[in-house]
Amino acid sequence: MSVNQEHKEMLDFLQINEKSELFSDVPNNVRKKDLKINRGISEFELLEEARRYSMMNQGPGMINFLGNGLYDRVIPTSVDSLLGRTEFLTSYTPYQAEMSQGVLQSLFEYQSLMCQLTGMDVTNSSMYDGYSALGEAVRMAHRINEKAEVLLPETIYNTKLEVIKSYLAGLSIKLIFYKINMETGHIDLEDLKNRINDNTCAIVCEQPNGLGIIDENVFSLHEIKKNAILIAYVDPVSLGILKEPGAYGADIVVAEGQQLGIHRSFGGPLLGILSFKNEYIRRSPGRIIGESVDSNGKRAFVMTLQTREQHIRRAKAMSNICTNQALMAIAAASYLSIVGAEGLKKVATLTYQNSKKLKGALLKSGKLSDNQLTGKSFSDLLVSFSTPVEKLQDKLYDRGILGGVPLSRFLSHGKGEVIPNSFFFSVTEKTNESDINQLIGALEVIS
Amino acid sequence: MSYKQASYDEPFIGELRSGTTYKIPGKVEEKVLDDLPAGSGREKLPLPEVAEYDVVRHFTRLSQMNYSVDIGMYPLGSCTMKFNPKFADRISTFEGFSEIHPLQPEKSVQGSLKIMYELQEYLKDLSDMDGITLQPLAGAHGEYTGILIIRKYHEDRGELDKRTEIIIPDSAHGTNPASAAMGGFDVVEIPSSDKGTVDLEALKAALSNKTAAFMITNPNTLGIFEDQITEIARLVHDAGALLYYDGANFNAIMGITSPGLMGFDIVHFNLHKTFATPHGGGGPGSGPVAVKEHLKDFLPVPTVSRDGDIYFLDYSHPKSIGRVAAYYGSFNMMLRAWSYITYHGSDGLKENTINAVLNANYLARKLSGKFKIPYKALKKHELVLSTENTGKRALDLAKYLIDHGIHAPTVYFPLIVHEDMMIEPTETVSKADLDQYADVLIKGLNIDDAELKSMPKNLSVSRIDEVKAAKDLKVKWDLE
Ligand SMILES: Cc1ncc(COP(=O)(O)O)c(C=O)c1O
Repeated sequence: MSVNQEHKEMLDFLQINEKSELFSDVPNNVRKKDLKINRGISEFELLEEARRYSMMNQGPGMINFLGNGLYDRVIPTSVDSLLGRTEFLTSYTPYQAEMSQGVLQSLFEYQSLMCQLTGMDVTNSSMYDGYSALGEAVRMAHRINEKAEVLLPETIYNTKLEVIKSYLAGLSIKLIFYKINMETGHIDLEDLKNRINDNTCAIVCEQPNGLGIIDENVFSLHEIKKNAILIAYVDPVSLGILKEPGAYGADIVVAEGQQLGIHRSFGGPLLGILSFKNEYIRRSPGRIIGESVDSNGKRAFVMTLQTREQHIRRAKAMSNICTNQALMAIAAASYLSIVGAEGLKKVATLTYQNSKKLKGALLKSGKLSDNQLTGKSFSDLLVSFSTPVEKLQDKLYDRGILGGVPLSRFLSHGKGEVIPNSFFFSVTEKTNESDINQLIGALEVIS
Repeated sequence: MSYKQASYDEPFIGELRSGTTYKIPGKVEEKVLDDLPAGSGREKLPLPEVAEYDVVRHFTRLSQMNYSVDIGMYPLGSCTMKFNPKFADRISTFEGFSEIHPLQPEKSVQGSLKIMYELQEYLKDLSDMDGITLQPLAGAHGEYTGILIIRKYHEDRGELDKRTEIIIPDSAHGTNPASAAMGGFDVVEIPSSDKGTVDLEALKAALSNKTAAFMITNPNTLGIFEDQITEIARLVHDAGALLYYDGANFNAIMGITSPGLMGFDIVHFNLHKTFATPHGGGGPGSGPVAVKEHLKDFLPVPTVSRDGDIYFLDYSHPKSIGRVAAYYGSFNMMLRAWSYITYHGSDGLKENTINAVLNANYLARKLSGKFKIPYKALKKHELVLSTENTGKRALDLAKYLIDHGIHAPTVYFPLIVHEDMMIEPTETVSKADLDQYADVLIKGLNIDDAELKSMPKNLSVSRIDEVKAAKDLKVKWDLE
């Protein structure tokens, strides 16, 4: 084989006889004897094996009411096709800017599009996922005002809370929970107001919130926030119809960007969106792409404000983040460009329409209790049944339906039992009448 | 070598006006939005309105102004830019993997859980560690997860208040001190020895009952194997501290030795380096963290376990640090790494390691007469040279290289070598390409400085004014 011939020439050049001599610096007592891993196989065999594993999964083709953060949305084929461009897929972080203008301009456009969507001044070029970006946002707020108390909605998902706590491990920050009115599903403004004081670092609000409700009180938080940093965790698709956080005084905006053209893939890779006001840019984490010119005066892009980052500032960096989610940011940029303003508005409107239809159908089915949240749901419809239902999700699955995750799965740290027998059914623009009818039919038999 | 990159005066997508053509299915009924809470509606949505064909052309043209591994050698030191196999692209689009929601019932995701379980076993086998989490989303995220485990371990022993320091060599990657500081530790930096390895005396002097951990990579960022690693591990453990392995350089030792055998307590892997998952212009990555038996209880939840043939999400770690990510990690990257390992197998993985080291040593020898290559001659997977003796700046030579259609090495890292280039060829490059790389780089030494500073000329843009970018900060377009 000619490859081996090349290796022989290289060994000769190095004046060694065996490749093993290249490892003469590895002491005997740490040498690895064997691996349990099987010997390699051909591509053909690998593809067969992988396909067999993929068929052990169920999901594609089933009726889907799963959401709570990740959603089954329409993804234009062109988005996948563009992500498959190997110039994007197989390049590294654009350290050599002149050679990497494609990725740099695409990320600059992502930053611009996200600013338009959120109404904010700056968006960085991506974070790992929505939850970790929220953790970073709280750290950022603490860097800005050095205050110690962070206010969170009592209905924040426990998984989100755990990630935030992980991000705060090294800081002395106290997490305080403010109340959500369990009849409307909106923030209890009086309760929140009472908790805001001179020590308040940040107020985290969610839109829609942990109960899936479009929270009308979020829009007036700037009136009561005093000097606290307002961090809005939003659903990016909902911004097709809901007021943008920049218009209601948010200082930092965080979102999970999976819905913008990214497949769910059992939960990853995702996209952490982090936007904020201009004045905070030097305290912000993550890579930022800036516009400049080349030596001929042509527009050109580079990574900028790198003195905030770990490779320069080391222990004093704003964050340790290095590798981010650049490709997912390009997915989001191409998704928003393809569906456009009209498309996003339609996706959001259909989602809202479908959640109302689903709620109507469930109410009519007679399965629900008399006490339902009066607030309006966006994607995640939370309903309470009149009688307890055990293992609803499994029972629906046996009838070809995904969905029915109990509220207690998300709120086990506190409020899960406040609304008894309640379950989520999530909708998207894909949800149709037949899906809803089949769900109602299945519930007839189960509950 | 003649080369020209595509160069377009590409407008912003927001400037194109061909009108949206993409069709979203479904029918919006009249007045649907009328019952939204008062004041909650959006007034203006300033997004692009561009035909799908224009969007595709726009991003395709942009992509043509971007170098990548599929175009040629990409010897960015510390980044392990090896060929990303196409079978992994294909497998990652199987609907049974890509269209799965993380909250589905476990019985409906046995295939995904089996992939995760097997990847856990693969990585444990390769590293000789006992427990593992696949949750962290990149190398630095893995480091931070490790730091949280270090905290929890000392907390559990009632020593966290006193163990406030993490020791890091001056050759370390910036994420190491940044992760340690984020976790609330004081960073104590120790100088490297004149051999480019850990200075045992400096380490002894730095270690105390305040030390929580020592973080290193092996081989280190100079591409040199720390051959006193067993002694290092003994010193660290005797001080009551933990030894952390930054796995960015795992491609140099996989199958030959392992962090477990060397005495490390915690390891992170970079699936986007060693295991060939594509780097996507900056990410996504994946940074699994493996630990020895005595730290298993602290791992994030859930991990994947098995009961006979049934795989399940295991939340049973009694002293878990909690969670570092929204779900179970970057599944798609795990799937690709699983594919890579299954395809190459124990024989291929070891072979890849050996060839990566062969290539680095070959290139080092080719360049050694012309450039100063500090420290010992035997390298592992990468080499660090200094251009100081040539009178040329590393940055200028980097721009010269990219002007010839080959990616530059990492420059100005590690920080302890002046005017340095860190070159990591990986195993997926031929001798012919290595020869050419060396030839082009050496020829650059004959080019006068003014000419070098005028480069690049063959790329979509010439040298960029970075100072202006930071001074006249412009981080989004100003279209309305
Ligand atoms: C030595 C070393 N450590 C840590 C990292 C951080 O890894 P990541 O970029 O995946 O966060 C890198 C890569 O950038 C590295 O080269």
